[in-house]
Amino acid sequence: MSQIPLLCDNTSAINLTKNPIQHSQTKHIEIHHHFIRNHVSNGDCVIQFVNSKNQLTDLFTKPFNKERFNFLRNELGIIDLKNIK
Amino acid sequence: MEHFLVNPNTAVSCKRNLICKEAATPIAIGCYLDNDEKGVKVDQTRYKELIGSLLYLTASRLDIMFNVCLCARYQASARESHYMATKRVLKYLKGTTDVGLWYPSEVSLNLIGYSDSDFAGCKTDRKSTSGTCHLLGSSLISWHSKKQACVALPTVEVESIQLEVVVHRVYGSNNS
Repeated sequence: MSQIPLLCDNTSAINLTKNPIQHSQTKHIEIHHHFIRNHVSNGDCVIQFVNSKNQLTDLFTKPFNKERFNFLRNELGIIDLKNIK
Repeated sequence: MEHFLVNPNTAVSCKRNLICKEAATPIAIGCYLDNDEKGVKVDQTRYKELIGSLLYLTASRLDIMFNVCLCARYQASARESHYMATKRVLKYLKGTTDVGLWYPSEVSLNLIGYSDSDFAGCKTDRKSTSGTCHLLGSSLISWHSKKQACVALPTVEVESIQLEVVVHRVYGSNNS
C-alpha cells in the first residue's frame, strides 16, 4: 500500500509539511513537524486538503446539531440497523 | 444491540433512566463543561460507575466517544452539571439502541486517514482536542479522540500536532 492519503482541513498545516522553509512561528513544534515532514518526503503518505464539510473526524472533536451529527455518523459507517434490511 | 448492555453497571444506569425523553444528539450545541466549583456535588461512586459503563460502550459506539471522554475528565470532582451532561448521553443512547458499526462486504481497499482538531476546545487550560479516523474503503477501522497534551496557540500548531498523531498511528513512532 503506497502513499496513504491523510486528509486535513487546515491548509497552513498541509503547506508546512511540504515547504522546506523554516517557519519562525512554528519553532515550538519542531519535533512533530519534522516527524511528519520526514514521512511526507519519504513518500509514505500524502497530506491532502479536505473541505470542512467532508471532514468526517469532526464527530470526535465538537458537538453538532442533529442533521450534521447524523450525516457524519452515517458517513463513518455507524448506521441504524433498521435501515439496512 | 442489547448485548452491549451486558455490563451490569450500564444495565443499572439505563434502567434507572428509562423514563426519560430521547435525545437526537449526545451533547447539546454550545454545551460547555468546566470545573463548576460552585455546583452541587454528586455521588462520586455513582458518577464513576456511569462513566465506566459508558467508556465500555465506546468500544462499539464511537459516536458517543467525544462526549464520554469530555464527561470523564471531571470524575475527580463531579458536579450536577457534569452529571446532567452524562445523562444526556444516556438519553441519546435510549433513542439509538439499533445503531452500530456496519462493515459492508463489497469494499475497495483504499486506506484514507482523516485528522481534525477543535481549537482550544477546553476553555480552562486552552488545550485542543484532536480526533482521527481511518477508513478502509467505506469501513471505519481505527479512530481516536484525545485532548492534546500541550497548549498550542496558532491553529497551525494544533493541526500539525494532530497530523503527527495520524502519521504515528499509521506508521508507528519507531519508523521515523
